[in-house]
Amino acid sequence: MDLTYTAAEEEFRSELRSWLSANIPNEWTRPGFWESLDDDESFRLRRDWERDKALAGFAGIQWPTEYGGRGGTPGMKAIYDAEMVLANAPRSVNPLALTFLAPTVMAIGTDAQKKEIIGPLLRNEVIWCQGFSEPGAGSDLAAVATKGVRDGDDFVVNGQKVWTTNAVHGDKIFTLVRTEAGSQKHRGISMLLIDMHQDGVDARPLKQMSGASEFGEVFFSDARVPATEVLGEIGEGWRTAMLLLSFERGASGIAQYTEFRRQYDEVVDVAKRLGRDTDPVIRGKLARVLTDLECLRYHAMHVQTQVEQGRDLGFEASMTKLIWSEPSQDLWEVFDEILGDDATLDSLGDLDLRPLHAQAMWSRSVTIWGGSSQVQRNVTAERVLGLPR
Amino acid sequence: MFFALDEDQQAFDGAVRSYLAGRFDLEAVRGVFEDPSGDGHPASLWKAAAEQGWLAVTVPEEHDGLGLGLVEAQVIGRALGAGAAPGPWRGTVLAAEAIRLAGSPEQQAAWLPRLASGDAVGAFTLRGSAPGTLPAVEYGALADVVVARSGDGLVLVTGATATPQGSYDGTTRLASVEAGEGEALPGATAEVVAELEARAVVLVAADLAGIAREAITRTVAYDKDRQQFGVPVGSFQAIKHALADLHVAVTLAEHAVLYAAHAVDTGLDGADLAVAVAKAKAGDAAVAATQAMIQYHGGIGYTWEHEAHFFYKRAKRLAGQFGDADAHRARIAELTIG
Repeated sequence: MDLTYTAAEEEFRSELRSWLSANIPNEWTRPGFWESLDDDESFRLRRDWERDKALAGFAGIQWPTEYGGRGGTPGMKAIYDAEMVLANAPRSVNPLALTFLAPTVMAIGTDAQKKEIIGPLLRNEVIWCQGFSEPGAGSDLAAVATKGVRDGDDFVVNGQKVWTTNAVHGDKIFTLVRTEAGSQKHRGISMLLIDMHQDGVDARPLKQMSGASEFGEVFFSDARVPATEVLGEIGEGWRTAMLLLSFERGASGIAQYTEFRRQYDEVVDVAKRLGRDTDPVIRGKLARVLTDLECLRYHAMHVQTQVEQGRDLGFEASMTKLIWSEPSQDLWEVFDEILGDDATLDSLGDLDLRPLHAQAMWSRSVTIWGGSSQVQRNVTAERVLGLPR
Repeated sequence: MFFALDEDQQAFDGAVRSYLAGRFDLEAVRGVFEDPSGDGHPASLWKAAAEQGWLAVTVPEEHDGLGLGLVEAQVIGRALGAGAAPGPWRGTVLAAEAIRLAGSPEQQAAWLPRLASGDAVGAFTLRGSAPGTLPAVEYGALADVVVARSGDGLVLVTGATATPQGSYDGTTRLASVEAGEGEALPGATAEVVAELEARAVVLVAADLAGIAREAITRTVAYDKDRQQFGVPVGSFQAIKHALADLHVAVTLAEHAVLYAAHAVDTGLDGADLAVAVAKAKAGDAAVAATQAMIQYHGGIGYTWEHEAHFFYKRAKRLAGQFGDADAHRARIAELTIG
């Protein structure tokens, strides 16, 4: 066991800390600040800040320097993720491009794609959406119905995507399209990179139960996409999608722990202010949540070790989603119990509850997106334990 | 960052498991279970344990021990739990730990080599106080030396009268010990007693993690084959989801025990929290996994002939030992809420 980081990694941490403390305005860390902005303003601030951060060398931590990355270690990436949470840094506006698209392009993109895509997305000059889910294809990802019909050098695309993060602010979308007429399931799909500012592409916000509109819908009606804008091989989009999703497996959970531990401390503070911290039932429930959060931390260290040793976690990674998503929901259920009769109020005395409610509402989504808990349980049972399908 | 057993520790783990599997199995456990008047102290296992250094694991080399830490000890604890193995391993190791950390040089020289070699059997309890009655001491009737509380400190009790106490967990033997004054361990400050308690908690949690892992491994193997309605019962989503949840819980318990052992060994900040987390998680996981073992074997799982009850009964006993999950959650609340 050696739970420390190397000297070079600690050096990186202090450089990053200095930059963050000099470049995050105080008001940004005030509770409720981000919730007080409208979606466009929030987006603009975050986009510009993240661009400056990339230009300062704090982006693409593990990416090769030839792509504008830092060429750092997995340890540096873990430090980066945790420090961003500790510094109250704003959430990324381009998370899907950074996590999924860029490493896929590095792995299988053409030289032209590597040049056109990676640098600009790192600097937030191009904001990307992921177009996988459709009204009929959520967990059943292979039920893609959006069609692309070849016409000369282009595909002509018709169909609809849903639950699309950044739909309204996105510049381009990497999307699964059925490019072989009459094909079934995962065959005959291609991954197209589609410009969202063209005729035939219409994005509409979807208002969520939290009141925010982080997701939206995207409609394609005769949108023309050059065939050079296929990532991977034509008709092999399923393979591209699986490669792309595999990049989530490196996510260790250290940042999630850091975030949830802070939320736990916030909830404990509220319990104290309301004099509910001495209630043995509340204490027992909080301790149960904390037990799982600490276990998330140990699991994150286990995963980080595997990543640093270059081991593929494979389907074990589906467990990680269960391990962080469900305790985060449990925490907010205890929060409501602490508030009791006043659970739904916007404020109690001088205590503004809205930022906490926003986090609680968000927690209801985390066991659905990115593979629902039910899907993760099936994967764990079938692929990890080997139970029959 | 390296959160795992290193190569030597992995080799040690493999050696413990294969040695145990080759010389001791559930038939042997049954033999102990079905002979309640026997001493529950299988000679072959004990000899093997001593030869392999399992009793000497944390004893310093100068006293003929291996001089290793709690990380290595929890490897053995887990393997013994997975085998539902009877015997006074944990009591002997913890008695030696008490003497190592709080004993005088004379006490160390007198006891550590004997405990390390298996010539002497040890027991460790924090219930009751000497002089007086010490209830339900594991292998109290066999022990040559019992480490017990006396006021705020610890004493060595030898030559005590022990009365066997019946228990439905046939994988152990319990006894009520009538302790005299005992011989004080001079270094047993409150801090040292707390550290010993932490070490005891981690070793019990390791046993529970071993039980839990074995329970779900055996259940998964059974449910892959067992047919109902013409298909394996393991293909039913109700069973899959339950076993997936248990696999997650047991995996977390294993991580938590490993982390807690390392935290205690190295005196990490937050070691007390880690120990409480490990026991709460491992206790709950072992009880849930052994309950599931019975349920997902169907009726056969409830029979005496099937081994599921060895694991369930052992899990029930150890889940309560050195504080149950609720007690450890109360500690967690104290440490994180105040």
